[in-house]
Amino acid sequence: MKRAVRWYPLFSVALLLFSCKTQLHHQVDKGQYYPVNASIVADSSIVNYYAPYKAKLEAEMNRVVGYADNHVTRNRNAPESLMGNFFADALLWKGKQLDPAVQASFATKDGIRADFNVGNITVGNIFEVMPFENAVSILTLSGTDMLRLADYMAKAGGQPVGGIQLVIENGQVKEFLLQGKPINPDAQYKLVTYDYLANGGDYVTFFDKPIAREDYTQLLRETLMEYVSAITKQGKHVQAQLDGRVQITK
Amino acid sequence: MEEFKSLNRRSFIRQSLTLGAMATFGAFPIQAVTASKTKRLTILHTNDVHSRIDPFPMDGSRNQGLGGVARRSTLIDKIRRTEKNVLLVDSGDMFQGTPYFNMFGGKLELELMSKLGYEAGTFGNHEFDNGMESLAEQLHYANFPFLTANYDFSGTPLAGHTKEYIIIEKGGIRIGLTGVGIDVTGLVDPNNHKGMTYLDPVPVVNRIAKMLKENKKCDLVICLSHLGYKYNDDKIDDLKLAARSRHLDIILGGHTHTFLNEPTRVSDLDGKEVWINQMGFAGIRLGRLDVVFNQATGAKNIMALHYTVDMNESQLV
Repeated sequence: MKRAVRWYPLFSVALLLFSCKTQLHHQVDKGQYYPVNASIVADSSIVNYYAPYKAKLEAEMNRVVGYADNHVTRNRNAPESLMGNFFADALLWKGKQLDPAVQASFATKDGIRADFNVGNITVGNIFEVMPFENAVSILTLSGTDMLRLADYMAKAGGQPVGGIQLVIENGQVKEFLLQGKPINPDAQYKLVTYDYLANGGDYVTFFDKPIAREDYTQLLRETLMEYVSAITKQGKHVQAQLDGRVQITK
Repeated sequence: MEEFKSLNRRSFIRQSLTLGAMATFGAFPIQAVTASKTKRLTILHTNDVHSRIDPFPMDGSRNQGLGGVARRSTLIDKIRRTEKNVLLVDSGDMFQGTPYFNMFGGKLELELMSKLGYEAGTFGNHEFDNGMESLAEQLHYANFPFLTANYDFSGTPLAGHTKEYIIIEKGGIRIGLTGVGIDVTGLVDPNNHKGMTYLDPVPVVNRIAKMLKENKKCDLVICLSHLGYKYNDDKIDDLKLAARSRHLDIILGGHTHTFLNEPTRVSDLDGKEVWINQMGFAGIRLGRLDVVFNQATGAKNIMALHYTVDMNESQLV
């Protein structure tokens, strides 16, 4: 009996140490990162695994559809960019083909995902510029909603547009022209954009009550491909330009 | 192109034995004292890989020649051969950015992540780009779970396809993992997230982290986040989540494509440090955090050993 009492505390300690799992204290070490670059040899089992996918993809993507004379760049911090203008012009071109009454095009900087380098433009390049499965939408808007669009653009410091001229001063609309004319709030206008924005993507709120909306199956990516192909067919190159369509004066 | 030949089984075993012997010999004096008391976990992580399967092409662009899933595989294999407890996770936006996604719909990204041995992921907004039905179909190609604790998918095609949390046990270390995503309103086409409810990540993460630490006795709680590192307005981000949390140890983030050269440490509601890390995008970097676990006693000695080991590892890179 005496013996058992003496062993009891020892047994409890053992139980505490081994039977019940106590949570571990931890300390995180200084984190590090590995740059993944050409100094690391590629794992051949992975390369081999995706080789069939790559072959299929490359056959399509390496097809050349046009040629860029200059580096067609994006610029989030400028009122307009070469790629933004090119993109909006392509959209306006397609919009007018689908509906001759279209007067303007509207896209957003965040929807344009890559630049064109000088040289051949391939299907792959166009995929990278417009990877999304977005399709063309044509909206009939009131003049009031067009003015809301102008306000949105002023707050965003410009967005890619075609058929529109905008002057921004102190984050406000100073001048807004559509096909060279001021907006009449009571008139109706036709604008080409794409479903993502028409549905309210990129925090767009001014497409919430269009007078009419026509959704097309024409993908934006196909639109860019057709636009570049049409330029090529005329024996020309893509020559994107800044033309002051959106300006910030102050 | 130079390629890495996978080691055959025999040479692999020979190499592991050599490495093992070297490790034992080299660290013997301290290891003999501490081996039973310390455990070590190596966390490897990526975010916003955006379908970047091949390295960026050599076209004069800023990131030319960087990234590539086959190189990442080599790197991960190498680390797994030297570290006993390795955890590999991703913080979302696996999809969208190269034509691989447009042509194959996400299947290849998920198959490759499965081959690399990813153990958990969370959803970024671009996972929804082809809609929830398509995403639910693609998930069959992943052999690891997706943690989306603040998305309620009830009544949508994704219902039952994701988890709130998982617990992974490695070498006697219990790791609790959860995941949270950004409010996709305005980011994703409304038709592509119809019926899904976004929940405030702060109470969700606190509820799960408390449960993981107190009820499930996890030694470490990690949150995979696609909220974004930092916003200057009220919008929730990883920094705010950390500051408003309890029981959370590490946030592995994404969405803002932030390249953190070293993790950020933020004090939580109890004044405890939460570590936040993010690895830019496109698999240009593979992140690594080492966590040393010990019984409360003798911690200082153990850390010294730990730093020595790490310096050697850095030289390997």
